[in-house]
Amino acid sequence: MKDWLEFAARLPPVVLVFVYGVITALATGLGAIPFAFVRSVSPLGVAISYAVASGLMLGASFGLMLQGTAHGSWQTIVGANIGVLFILLTHQAIRKYDVRRGSPSGSGLRRTLLILVVMTAHSFSEGIAVGASFAGGLSLAALITVAIAVHNIPEGLAISAVLRPQGSSVAACAGWSIFSSLPQPLMAVPAFLFVSAFEPLLSYSIGFAAGAMVLMVFLDLLPEAFSGARRPIVGIIVSVTLVAMTFFQQYV
Amino acid sequence: MSHLPDVFLYSSLAAATAAIGALPFALRREIPRAWIGWANALAAGLMLGIAYVLGEVGLARLVPAATAGSLLGIAFVYITHRLDDLEGIAPVQAERGPSSISRGLLVQSLHSASEGVAIGAATAVSLGLGIFTVVALAAHNVPEGAVLCSILGKRKYRLGEAAAIAIATNLGQVIMAVVTFVATALFPFLLPWSLGFAAGALLYLVMVELLPDSYREAGQMSIALVTSISMGLVVLLNSSFVR
Repeated sequence: MKDWLEFAARLPPVVLVFVYGVITALATGLGAIPFAFVRSVSPLGVAISYAVASGLMLGASFGLMLQGTAHGSWQTIVGANIGVLFILLTHQAIRKYDVRRGSPSGSGLRRTLLILVVMTAHSFSEGIAVGASFAGGLSLAALITVAIAVHNIPEGLAISAVLRPQGSSVAACAGWSIFSSLPQPLMAVPAFLFVSAFEPLLSYSIGFAAGAMVLMVFLDLLPEAFSGARRPIVGIIVSVTLVAMTFFQQYV
Repeated sequence: MSHLPDVFLYSSLAAATAAIGALPFALRREIPRAWIGWANALAAGLMLGIAYVLGEVGLARLVPAATAGSLLGIAFVYITHRLDDLEGIAPVQAERGPSSISRGLLVQSLHSASEGVAIGAATAVSLGLGIFTVVALAAHNVPEGAVLCSILGKRKYRLGEAAAIAIATNLGQVIMAVVTFVATALFPFLLPWSLGFAAGALLYLVMVELLPDSYREAGQMSIALVTSISMGLVVLLNSSFVR
């Protein structure tokens, strides 16, 4: 770690910011790996995947809400409301293009689009966090980067949990997961350069991400889970993954 | 220990608010099913919010204990449901037959026992957190009481009886609130465990019972909105006022 920091100190800062952002984006792809071991996707398996995704996203949203309110309560609330609205509108808009509504593949496309849009929008705030953290020095930036990278893994897991039942290959799951995190390196650079301009936006974007994810879970993921598995199974999986995600966030 | 009378008083008040849930039925014979769905969704959101708040407080104290406690809480509710051969569908069971009324009520009582643990543990942390928890759970008891009265009404119970039953099933809340408060006062190491336990139990109850019931009764959209908003409300109020 120390050698890396010495090496890193000699790079132009902007390059370093970008590299850190790329690392966090790549980490998201790791979330697809568990699905290399899951062969068939029965309806029960699909429901379980959605339950896992729900627990992880709820856990992540709660953590985000806490972080956001630490930086500014009402900004986070406003952001969360915008996030909720955003999902509602996107949901309705995509429905118009959902020609084969009611058929599994039709609603699957909608769900895939939704989750990708949400996760990608979410990555904007993380990118801002990485870029802004450089203002606090290299070791802080390294720490924040590791935190976000590790936090990205369950997000990749959640995305893959939705994509895999649709028939995506593990490589496609990994690819889309990484794609959803691309805003991180892309936003990290301007955030670093204009840290004073971007910092006020942080709470709004955190709230946005949390609000959007929560609504997605209740609007889409959970009903899907309940339609494919019995209540206690869904209940236990969602609860345990939520606890795990929250536990995980204590150490990151 | 000085707050013991408060614990008793507040949890009793929270238990009693279930009777407010009976009010709509005094005014109208039939309540639209969707409203019951929204009532469940509101109750779910409030409960989920308070579960998270308590979980966070527990984790802030001792991560492994709180985490283990929450897993215990989940397991406790799951096992008690299994022992009664239920799948957390107490209200539906109650609709089905006379013998299942007592089962449904038993589950309701266990449900309120978990709430009691939440109140007791929260008050042990601070009076402010305790009051916050009581208010959230009291607010949650209203739609829950409404749901229960709706079921009992279909089973031809009179409104006064239904309201009394709604309150009675919440007695477990008072008992467990006092027990938890005293236990954590005597053995402080129990506090993160009980906070985690409450968080896990309430979380699981939302996921296995309140949410699926509300999805059944009202559309996904309205449920999603109501749950998200009420949950967000609790989490945000907590950060603004309690912390």
